[in-house]
Amino acid sequence: MWLVRPALQDDANQILEIAGTAGSSTARLSSTLPRQREALAEKIEHSLVSLAGKTSAGGQPPRFLFVLEDTVTGRVHGTAGIDARAGNGQPFYNYRRDALIHASHELGISSRVDVLYPSHALTGHTLLCSFSITPELRNTEAFELLSRARILFIAGHRDWFPPSVAVEIQGVQLADGSVPFWDSLGRHFFNMDFETADQHSGVLSRTFIAELMPPNPVYVTLLSEAAQAALGQPHELTVPNLELLQREGFQAGCYLDIFDAGPVLEARTDALHTLVTSRAKTLHGASEEGGDTCLISAGEGAGFRCTLAQVADTLEGTLKVPVNIWDVLGKTAGDEVRVAPC
Amino acid sequence: MLVIRPLQENDLEDLYAMAQKAGKGMTTLPADRDLLQRKINLAQETFNQRCAPEAGLYLFALEDTETRKAVGISGIQARVGLDEVFYNYRLSVTVNASKELGVHVRTPTLHLSNDMTDISEICSLLLSDAYQGGGNGLLLSRCRFMYLDEFRKHFSEKVFAEMRGVSDEQGLSPLWDALGSKFFDMKFTEADMLSGLGNKAFIAELMPKFPIYLPMLPDSARAVIGRVHDNTAPALKMLQAEGFNFNGMVDIFDGGPVVEAFVHTIRTVRDSRNRHAMVTRKAVNLDVPAAERVMVSNRSFRNFRVTTVPASCVGTDTISLPPAVAEALQIESGDPVRLAPLKDRAKTAVKAAR
Repeated sequence: MWLVRPALQDDANQILEIAGTAGSSTARLSSTLPRQREALAEKIEHSLVSLAGKTSAGGQPPRFLFVLEDTVTGRVHGTAGIDARAGNGQPFYNYRRDALIHASHELGISSRVDVLYPSHALTGHTLLCSFSITPELRNTEAFELLSRARILFIAGHRDWFPPSVAVEIQGVQLADGSVPFWDSLGRHFFNMDFETADQHSGVLSRTFIAELMPPNPVYVTLLSEAAQAALGQPHELTVPNLELLQREGFQAGCYLDIFDAGPVLEARTDALHTLVTSRAKTLHGASEEGGDTCLISAGEGAGFRCTLAQVADTLEGTLKVPVNIWDVLGKTAGDEVRVAPC
Repeated sequence: MLVIRPLQENDLEDLYAMAQKAGKGMTTLPADRDLLQRKINLAQETFNQRCAPEAGLYLFALEDTETRKAVGISGIQARVGLDEVFYNYRLSVTVNASKELGVHVRTPTLHLSNDMTDISEICSLLLSDAYQGGGNGLLLSRCRFMYLDEFRKHFSEKVFAEMRGVSDEQGLSPLWDALGSKFFDMKFTEADMLSGLGNKAFIAELMPKFPIYLPMLPDSARAVIGRVHDNTAPALKMLQAEGFNFNGMVDIFDGGPVVEAFVHTIRTVRDSRNRHAMVTRKAVNLDVPAAERVMVSNRSFRNFRVTTVPASCVGTDTISLPPAVAEALQIESGDPVRLAPLKDRAKTAVKAAR
């Protein structure tokens, strides 16, 4: 059975392993998941403090990290995170793609000029981040569970999150590892390759972005053709994830990732599909297997658990669930759980 | 004899022929009769002080007194950017540095600027092919510095010149192709012509306003920023010898450099001397090499004239001029004149005769 639960310090080794495999054979790992043990330990610690409802030592806004566990083997197969406030107290950087009309009445010319403006507008929105999963689980129900469990967490802790939520989708990277958008723009200013910059952005303070990013708007027409073509385009390996998020109600707006120009999806927190369709129910036993597969979450803070189960829903506000699921959720009959259809 | 004088009504056809031959790249003198006529009119108003001093356009013709034809032209625009907007790119540097990462990157950047506004420009230099050489180009160019010096209050303290940038035989400019064309949707020659016709509004409307980071442009375009067209290299050299220097501004279309100098530091100005004319009946051999000649001008605002005479004519207080020269300069014995060297060797002659 698959279970999503908060990450613990003991998970660190396995998370680093996923980082190793995911980084080499598939799309690169989310840049917001550190590959260094120390940084990862810090991130897990921050998550634990946040889950306890306390403020971290540095006074940073809450950040949460969850793992996908196979309850049979106890192994961790993926991670998913939420930053309650994008930027975590610092500016959160994007490019905003906007247009100017350069028109000359006298010459009868009117042309649309696309411009990338440095933007901090998404700072303070909730950010879904640090998503990684072992390659063999892509496109499975575990993949969906891991991603959507976060929305159930938000639904169960709605007060902790602002009204808007965003998620960055990895942009175009070619087979040889090069990133056209980076090579056309960022590389000139950061004087480093894409991987290095991406790693820094996961680990270092974001000060280096403020220091190195070109301070003025950039004309799209001056980018290389490959870079222009990559604007707002997802990496092909992220398409299942993108589609899942679109079903959730996320839409690409005008914001782009500053490193690879991948799309930034936005949604209203209260309009997220999983949140809207979820219901608080009372847990009851089911005598027999059967029913629709649903996401079930339960527990507050560090006790948060989310899994998939076949449940028999009732209209009375009770939910009939096999007893083995009770154990996974750490709940018993009469406790409140949250359920959302798959 | 070749004499500099204010441009006149009857110069139109000569001017048109010269502009036609010069072809593309001569943005301030397009082969357009109406426009040239307007320039002539403006020049006449300027010399006759019938227009505001800052609106003045001082155009001088080089006249061959034998054929009575204008064979060259040069000019001074009293102020630029007052009734239209005058654009340049300023070539500057953006530095991005991170101590944390040990990164320090310098990015050459073009900023759109109007910094040359309200400054005097020397412009519109054109010399017929048949008259190239023999110091004629020097006379045509340097006569302006004598005028600037003589009538300083009509001009700014600093003067500048825009040098033609790099373009090929077909009129293709690497900078235009990489930058301007992406925003203007027209050919370089077309944009250049529009700009020359005095239509600058379209620049404001279509030109990119945000800084341009040079690493985003192809090498071919970066290479021509601040560089002059091969045909303009001699003119640049001449201005550099006068003390003009690249001031970091470049043309927004072809990337040609702007050079500038303070009037009081221009070599011709520093080396010029006052004398009184003495019309002599003695025969003077005017046909000496350029290096042995000096420029001599009258001191008239309305009817400014300059020609060259042998350095040997220069005395301690006076300069001996044959009647033909005096007539060409419209002066008589005793009138004040001004001298300046045409070439380096003449400079020593002027100094020696101090």
